[in-house]
Amino acid sequence: MLSLLLGVLLALFSGPSFASSYALFLPIFGVVGSMGGLTVFTSDRTKGLLEYLIAYGYSPRRLFANVLLTTLVLVSIVVGIGTSVSLGVYFVEGNAATSTLAITMGLYAVPMTFACAAFASTVGVYWTALSSPRQGINSPVGLIPFIGILPALATLFSIVAFSLSRPLSSTTLLLVLGSAMGLVAIFVMVLLVSMGRLLRRERFLSPA
Amino acid sequence: MGTATNVPDSPLSAGKAVGIDCRSVSSGYLGSRVLHQISFRITEPSIYVVLGPNGAGKTTLFRTLAGILRPYEGEVYIGGEPVDRQSSRDRLHYLTHMDGLPDGLSVREALEFFARAEGAQPRDVERVLDQLEIRGLSAKFPAQLSAGQRKRVSVARVFLRERSIYLLDEPTANLDPKVAREIRELILRLSREKIVLYSSHNLFEAREIGRYVLVIKSGEISRFDRIETVRGSRYVLGIRVLQPSPALAAYDQEGEYYLRELSGPEEVPTVLRELMAQGVQIREAREMENPLEDLFT
Repeated sequence: MLSLLLGVLLALFSGPSFASSYALFLPIFGVVGSMGGLTVFTSDRTKGLLEYLIAYGYSPRRLFANVLLTTLVLVSIVVGIGTSVSLGVYFVEGNAATSTLAITMGLYAVPMTFACAAFASTVGVYWTALSSPRQGINSPVGLIPFIGILPALATLFSIVAFSLSRPLSSTTLLLVLGSAMGLVAIFVMVLLVSMGRLLRRERFLSPA
Repeated sequence: MGTATNVPDSPLSAGKAVGIDCRSVSSGYLGSRVLHQISFRITEPSIYVVLGPNGAGKTTLFRTLAGILRPYEGEVYIGGEPVDRQSSRDRLHYLTHMDGLPDGLSVREALEFFARAEGAQPRDVERVLDQLEIRGLSAKFPAQLSAGQRKRVSVARVFLRERSIYLLDEPTANLDPKVAREIRELILRLSREKIVLYSSHNLFEAREIGRYVLVIKSGEISRFDRIETVRGSRYVLGIRVLQPSPALAAYDQEGEYYLRELSGPEEVPTVLRELMAQGVQIREAREMENPLEDLFT
């Protein structure tokens, strides 16, 4: 809801700078909005539901894949509703569809939001599984939203760093964006594939 | 050292395929061993009470038998097949010590979820709703249920499908005596002709429902036997009477009970006859100490 409200406000009042301002916020809202998957995972672990599922043949990797899938569904809802409504308001207000808008939204904001959510979810599952169950702001669920936006921040800092040395070409911009998405995708895939080795089953059990 | 138990004319006797075969199993968490070379074999359908103090390894044993924890050493066979095969897992139900109910689902939705996970049918959900008398809770969420109701729903999921082996980890822990008795009776009724491993701290519960007792101490099996063969180091008879009598002057008193230590239960009829002959009106006579207590020491 908050992302939708902010998107509409930006579409109404920011004018041509909508593309850059909305793109900055979308990954943050995407990560926060997709925390439901990790929250359910944490709760299910504490309550012994994961233990039950493992007993009936579900592998930890399959459980993780389910969290990742839930995360991506949730972030799709946040991005889908927020972006379509905000862009709709933006165009109704008489703003034109520019190539900057298309590049910013299509190559940065939307894919980076998915990447940040997947990153947050992956780190969150590992962190939750490796730590003792706890709740509150110092728990993984409380802190992961801040960690989840790191890929977006790193990408923006890289773009700034490149543009300081010389004018940023579209090729360099695409290279930076592509590298950032690629790194996050590799990170998530490696942790998903390595789950059997890095996280033993006892990490998914409720306290005895 | 682990304990290999072999009791003639018992479920431990070899030669039957269906059941649990635990062979020199060492198991635990993150490399730290909790169970040490445990061996036992169960083939006869019956209720086996797994007793042991906190931290003895009861939950670890159940998790190992359910295939959740992989043994560091040894092997577990369920129905003659290694426990990590799906066909083995399809033979057993495991009730965890936690309720394991999803927060965001109503009782009916949770049972439908469990039914899908176990390959049960929607009609099985309707059946357990009636069998466990929880139909009235169908629309409620776990947060709206009492501890006893949550446990009842949790127990319902292990009866969604009929299986030959039931691992029930402290199903009556933290429940008041009335609810605990109801849960116990449900389990007894629904698990006839099955192999049931039932862990408990409650010695009276163990005597009430168990036919065999499997005692774990410090990760080892210290005893596996028929429960009636377990005798305490002393036998204390407690007698409640309608009116105090001089015949009871030599007895110790504990609350309403007059106590007398005997050499064994066989002396009870003689003692009671003597007291009645002296005009004592007996209201109740019971064994005051549970012989299973000695298994913990």
